[in-house]
Amino acid sequence: MGKVYLGVLKGLLKITLILLAGFGVLYLLKNILPPAEDGYRQFPVLGSRVWVWVVAQLHLNFAAFVLGVPIFTVAMEFIGWRKKDERLDRIAHDFAKLFTLAYTLTAVLGAVLMVSLPILYPKFIDYLVKILGPTWWVYIGLMYLEVLFCYLYFYTWGKIGKGTHILLGVLLNVFGTLLLLVPNAWIGFMTTPGGVTETGELVNRWEAINTYMWIPLFLHRLVANVVFGAGLGAAYAAYRFITAKTPEERAYYDWMGYISSLIAIGFLVILPPIGYLLGVEIYAFNEQMGIQLMGGFYAWLWVMQAILIGAILLFVNYYLWVSLNKMPGGERYFKYVKFLFVIVILGYAVWLTPHSVALSLEEARRIGAYHPFLGKLGVMAAKNTAVTISFLATFLSYEIFRLSNKEPTVSWAGIGKALRVIIMVGSSLALIGLGVYSYMVPAVVRVKVLSPIQFGIFFATLIVLYILDTLMYRNAKVIGEPRWGQMPERSQYALIAMMVTFTWLMGLMGYIRSGGRQYWHVYGIMKDTSPDAYLPTHGFACLVISAVTLIFFALIASLFWSVMRYERLGGERA
Amino acid sequence: MSGVIRLVIVVLAINGFFTYIGLFLLPQAESHPPKEVKIEEGITVEELIEIGKNIVFGKGQCMVCHPVKEETGMRAPAISTIGALMEREAKERGIPFEEHVFEALVAPGNYVSEGFANIMPPVHKPPIGLTKEEIVAVAAYLQSNGSKVTITFPESLKILEEVLKKTGG
Repeated sequence: MGKVYLGVLKGLLKITLILLAGFGVLYLLKNILPPAEDGYRQFPVLGSRVWVWVVAQLHLNFAAFVLGVPIFTVAMEFIGWRKKDERLDRIAHDFAKLFTLAYTLTAVLGAVLMVSLPILYPKFIDYLVKILGPTWWVYIGLMYLEVLFCYLYFYTWGKIGKGTHILLGVLLNVFGTLLLLVPNAWIGFMTTPGGVTETGELVNRWEAINTYMWIPLFLHRLVANVVFGAGLGAAYAAYRFITAKTPEERAYYDWMGYISSLIAIGFLVILPPIGYLLGVEIYAFNEQMGIQLMGGFYAWLWVMQAILIGAILLFVNYYLWVSLNKMPGGERYFKYVKFLFVIVILGYAVWLTPHSVALSLEEARRIGAYHPFLGKLGVMAAKNTAVTISFLATFLSYEIFRLSNKEPTVSWAGIGKALRVIIMVGSSLALIGLGVYSYMVPAVVRVKVLSPIQFGIFFATLIVLYILDTLMYRNAKVIGEPRWGQMPERSQYALIAMMVTFTWLMGLMGYIRSGGRQYWHVYGIMKDTSPDAYLPTHGFACLVISAVTLIFFALIASLFWSVMRYERLGGERA
Repeated sequence: MSGVIRLVIVVLAINGFFTYIGLFLLPQAESHPPKEVKIEEGITVEELIEIGKNIVFGKGQCMVCHPVKEETGMRAPAISTIGALMEREAKERGIPFEEHVFEALVAPGNYVSEGFANIMPPVHKPPIGLTKEEIVAVAAYLQSNGSKVTITFPESLKILEEVLKKTGG
């Protein structure tokens, strides 16, 4: 156990040193730099906004990873323990290595952000500390607890009883989840402030924490962190598959990639309704902010969002379709792939069609502000339908893959298969019918009644189909075991492409959410009067997001290399 | 070519593809914070209406919710007929037309047009934060959409100040 204590102590010391270094640099810079008379200092060359934007997004990406991955890691360890499945235990251990090593990078980026904000935006940070100051100390306390349990969880792997070890993992997740609540309270206050007077004086600190946005944003991030973390797990597995030297290694990382992408997409499915909840709260706080976010300056960036999520679905479907090759009996389903492809492409096309298109003046005079046909596809009625149908097709791809090497033996298999078709076709028709009907009703009915019904039908279909298939394939005849590792290399690039797109998506949505405040540090309370108090062009925003993605991948490559070095050196010496 | 190099190419290509869309296929414009509009004494009604129109379509962010023409499912009354609507409402309430228009801008929750939800923020408070002069110009523009313009500058400022006092603004 001596090594465990040493490891945990080293981890805590490392975080303390990073934090102390941050405070030290902050103290020095405050004393060296001239006072910020107008409340701002400019970061050289890049400008303060771009610098903080890049650092904050990178920190957030790593934080998403270290907070999201432990959630399913502990779940996998638990299932592996109960089912006596050593593969699940191994994959959980691999994930634990990844997120433990990622902590250092997360903390370094956090310290850079901790120095940058008060130096570059002193007036704004002073105000935020005045309102929410005590939460900062809660954040530090929770961070220490989280780090403590992270290192305990990692270093005690295989050295203590499984039940106790899983309990450590649960505690790690409890503190991680509590930690996530704190920065979301800061962002919630900045975007949908409460608990202060019109001039910004504090009236009630709890109301300043418990704002409209706080919990929905927290939930959205919690789930998105799992998606992001699992996506990164899939990318890691793909990287290890590509560089694997033995068939055993290839088989293991093929399986790890499959499990990770399954978790990523499984959790991605529940993001739209949580996003809807977040939207509802923003609208409840300020209708104009909601509309500005969804359809004002940012309308085109939502088209970009559709391009990204549609691309993710295409990559995942492609991966699942290629995966049919390794399933004995999978060839029976090849004929359905082309239909699924057409459905996913059609859904994608509708989803990314904008409401208004860039027109010449002459074209605008001829057809009006909106294209007579395409304009109708650019509204919520069409998009909700396209999204749910595309996700439904993806679920079907997954079910086909999952069951392709089995043949049901229950007496009612024929009826079950017919029922499956009826449910699938019936729910698709219902989704399309509701989508068409949405054009004929007022906005309030469309948003508050028909959209939730569409999502309700979608989720009900997934649940019913999953239960039906599970019952129908109980004691099914297995045609053959999956040939893990026998996948063409191109399938792994689909997983890498999925993760690049996830990272882009995180950057884009973070920008939209932050830009919703427009030229306010705290919406309606504290104006941004810096030279950066404007929204840049979409192209500029995309360049920054792209740069963040590339830097993130460079850092991730170093993380993967560290994990492989750790394994090569046998763990202890690394 | 080794797998790692191919992997790097995939990352760069996908990233480059999305960046290309953002740079070359999306419309490019910056959005700057609005500037305060200065209105001087002696301005004609036509000039006042023009300033009001610019605020409604810009700084005031009115068009976020109000459509120009009536349409199914609209969140707020259409701008093109809003003067006539407000004149009718003022008569129903038995208050002067000018007072009703100003009240609709600074205390919109006091009277909500039939068939609509109470979603409008007071325009003199943040985040919109119009000045009194700007509110007078907007009110004149609203009247000009289907009704006679009775609001002038600086004469109508007094009515606005009374409304603000009455509504606690």
